[in-house]
Amino acid sequence: MIKLLEHLPVLVILFPLCATLLCPLISHFKPSFGKKVVMTGLFLSVVCAVTQLWQVVSTGEALHYYLGGWKPPFGIEFVIDGLNGIIVVLVAVISWITSLFSSPFEKLEREEGNFRSAGYYSMLSFLALGLLGMASTGDAFNLYVFMEITAISGYGLIAIGEEKGPIAAFRYLLTGTIGASMYLLGVGFLYAATGTLNMADLAAAMPELVDSPLIILSVGCLIVGFGIKMALFPLHGWQPAAHSYAHPAADPMIAGIMIKVPAYAMLRFFFCIFSESSAVMEVFFDAVGVMAVFGVLFGSLKALRYTTYNKILAYSSIGQVGYIAMGFAIGNFYGLIGAVLHIVSHAFMKSGLFYTSGALKYKFGIHETTELGQVYRDMPMTGMTMTVCALSMIGLPPFAGFFSKWYLAIGAIENGQYGFVVVLILSSLLSAIYFFRVMEKLFMDKKTASERTDTVQPKGKLELPWQLIVPMIVVVCAVILLGLFNSYIVGDVLEPTIREVVLA
Amino acid sequence: MMISSIRPALAVGAALLAAVLILFFGNRIKANLREAITLTAAVIMTGLIFSMIPGVLEGNIYVSKMWTIVDGIDLTLKTDGAGMVFACIASFLWILTSIYSIGYVRGHHEKNQTGYFAAFAACLASAAGIALAANLITFFIFYEMLTLATYPLVAHYRDDKAKASGRKYLAYTLISGQLFFAAIVWVYVKYGTLDFVAGGFIEPGSMEAGVMCLLFFMMIVGGAVKAGVMPLHGWLPSAMVAPTPVSALLHAVAVVKAGAFCVLRVICYVFGPESASWCGGAPVLSWFAVITILLSSLVAMRQDNLKARLAFSTVGQLSYIVLGISLLSPYSITGALFHIVAHAFLKITLFMSAGAIFVNTGLSEISTMGGLVKKMPVTSVCFTAASLGIAGLPLMAGFVSKFNILEGALMVSKPFAMVVLVAAAILALSYLMPVVRIFFGKETSVVSENGHHVSKYAVTAMVVPLALTAVIAIILGFVPNAGPHLYDMAQMAAEAITEEGGVYLAG
Repeated sequence: MIKLLEHLPVLVILFPLCATLLCPLISHFKPSFGKKVVMTGLFLSVVCAVTQLWQVVSTGEALHYYLGGWKPPFGIEFVIDGLNGIIVVLVAVISWITSLFSSPFEKLEREEGNFRSAGYYSMLSFLALGLLGMASTGDAFNLYVFMEITAISGYGLIAIGEEKGPIAAFRYLLTGTIGASMYLLGVGFLYAATGTLNMADLAAAMPELVDSPLIILSVGCLIVGFGIKMALFPLHGWQPAAHSYAHPAADPMIAGIMIKVPAYAMLRFFFCIFSESSAVMEVFFDAVGVMAVFGVLFGSLKALRYTTYNKILAYSSIGQVGYIAMGFAIGNFYGLIGAVLHIVSHAFMKSGLFYTSGALKYKFGIHETTELGQVYRDMPMTGMTMTVCALSMIGLPPFAGFFSKWYLAIGAIENGQYGFVVVLILSSLLSAIYFFRVMEKLFMDKKTASERTDTVQPKGKLELPWQLIVPMIVVVCAVILLGLFNSYIVGDVLEPTIREVVLA
Repeated sequence: MMISSIRPALAVGAALLAAVLILFFGNRIKANLREAITLTAAVIMTGLIFSMIPGVLEGNIYVSKMWTIVDGIDLTLKTDGAGMVFACIASFLWILTSIYSIGYVRGHHEKNQTGYFAAFAACLASAAGIALAANLITFFIFYEMLTLATYPLVAHYRDDKAKASGRKYLAYTLISGQLFFAAIVWVYVKYGTLDFVAGGFIEPGSMEAGVMCLLFFMMIVGGAVKAGVMPLHGWLPSAMVAPTPVSALLHAVAVVKAGAFCVLRVICYVFGPESASWCGGAPVLSWFAVITILLSSLVAMRQDNLKARLAFSTVGQLSYIVLGISLLSPYSITGALFHIVAHAFLKITLFMSAGAIFVNTGLSEISTMGGLVKKMPVTSVCFTAASLGIAGLPLMAGFVSKFNILEGALMVSKPFAMVVLVAAAILALSYLMPVVRIFFGKETSVVSENGHHVSKYAVTAMVVPLALTAVIAIILGFVPNAGPHLYDMAQMAAEAITEEGGVYLAG
């Protein structure tokens, strides 16, 4: 048992890896069993992630894991501290509940005969693997590998989605490849300058090199690379289509965490490798700040123009990623706390909203918000999830979104960057407009589609199969609890890491 | 003396729990059981809050420190004098409005009753939270919860008109709320604390006067919108589309009073009288209040819809409170605090009367209500009494508060404010007395024809609470300290705020 505990960082990604490989094989013999393997794999991953976070928090020390016992600079190192420990838990939890969420869709579409459940579930767990790896690794090149794993499985899950899915996937493939290449170039420059790929070694080598042109070039490449992956304005072009047309069951994961983990990676890369006061970081702060401000406003304004539910959510994500980038641009303790908290809370909120989107499609085939009239009467749980997540997105207390905004505002004012506060307020108000518009339709519009038929679910006690309900309950609880008890995450988990590692 | 106690938290918790229970189970249980939840929670909350009165009068403060809500600040409730005044009336009037609501929604066969009662309970939980909040962040959380909980009530009928006023309400409250939020963050970064301190914690001179004035108004705007200070009152008359008990709740108990209370907390517990007058914010605010008092009375006169007339009357009366606070003298603050009480009982009587008339006879326009006294004698008499009280006639609750505000104005030598106060009393008479005259006047055929059948039980449930509030308003006029010693508490709070006896507004 003790032995096993030492291997937690790798176990977290090993379970999804095994599930990915076993799922097609087992499905071949027993079609309905493959998804259970994936669910189990992801569940074990959640258990390991939570245990490992608990270990990090209780000992107060980061876990270092050397793959195969090879120490850096030769081997790959996984480093788990409070900061990425919590991201790993987040990714694992959302992946697991999404695999649960997919189950009714899989059943439905398998019966229709146009769904390869083995392929779907393999890709889902592969995506989880990539994201978990990106969050865990302490090696710059290894990060690239996981980034590509994420992207490849992402392409697949988007392509098997709705009618326009393949086009969206192709678009993402082109842009995503550019992003990954830029990242690779950036890392290449760093390697050329320092001769190492381990992040800790890179950081140690950096002070002497900080103003060399190679480093500045690499910073530019890295900003573009991460920017594309996290859909930061103006590099977001692929995102709205990809998030709108991806497979409705996988969409919560794609929209919720696939753009958050690169955001975390950006934080880790810039703040841990380049020291905070260097000239390079000045460039970073300015560039990301401008992108953030325009992104926040652009995303919110653009979301106002749509009535398609997924489009609204997708553009709102562009705005919300802007919040995270704003936290980076603020760059002080509270700014970063706000950014990380927003990574976590936005992941829950946005996946929650995509869960409701999936549920609406599953039960009534609703895509447009104009068709929402009085749906909450048939689907109270869905209505509640939408309400809670939307209020949290606007940033109203006591939900999680308010508190990340609180820390961001504190950080901004501490730095004297009052413009950011103005942008925060504006974007809250804009998102209030588009989300209250949705809620008004949900609760107050007349039932427009009187022919709205519920072909899927025989009239049972629950509004939806339980596999669709559980993820929503998890998300609602998370959004409320993350809000009310954010100070424990901030104080016990994030503060030590951010003070000692990130801002050291 | 500070006493750590769970009671403030329980009082808020009881109402919150009721809201959650009703929301989740309201449709699955019988209506009577659902209403029993409301009433039980209301009684528990009132009991808990009233049980702390003796302690508070002895100078104790009960504090519920719950948990750290954001890095460095605890979610804390405490019972200081000012908070107790507001909490007492909010909780007590919740019982009465609940009884009245039950009669109203059943007599009027409202739809979506479950959502209605859940939102009602959530409103009251937030109001109690606002009253007892011990720091700005706790206050803000409940303040925004109140906004959210009120929205479904305003938009209750879900037609185009209700939607429009719902949007208007949200636009006003959310925009001001965001400014308030930014100001709170600013204060926290600058002063490192958010705890309410009687007399304020912002020192004059700690910022440039202009900047502090900006900060002052960013905070005040949050309260001023809910209190309907002109020109930010627009949402209030539109919100009249809501069912009448909601209007009563909005106008008398929770929302507008929360706004006025917010102004009190900001001026007296964050800035403190000294800074508020030093930065020039309070004098400017007092002018806004004066203009609101006069203008709203003039507008009220022209409204034929009874609820609209009462709404503009509320706008004016709330500005009395704002004026009382911004005059910054101990008397005027006492008066302002007591006006929260007096106006609550008086205005709720008026609104409940309007609702009872509407359910019983289907009438909402004043000109059609001739001879109402024959059909609804108790309601008409109570309405008359409350009207006189609003105008501030002696021996009514309204007189006690207004006299105090007047005295305060005299003390800080603001003769103009005194003139306004007297003029406003006459104006109030001139827009409320015509209504009374019509009630007691010639019987128009409309009244007798329009009456439709409403069960006796529903009528009783409506008339008893409104008679009760009218009687209490009169009792408070004779003995301001009757019952829970609200006047003493108001005085206590005012004295704590202006320890130096303060005359801050010279010139």
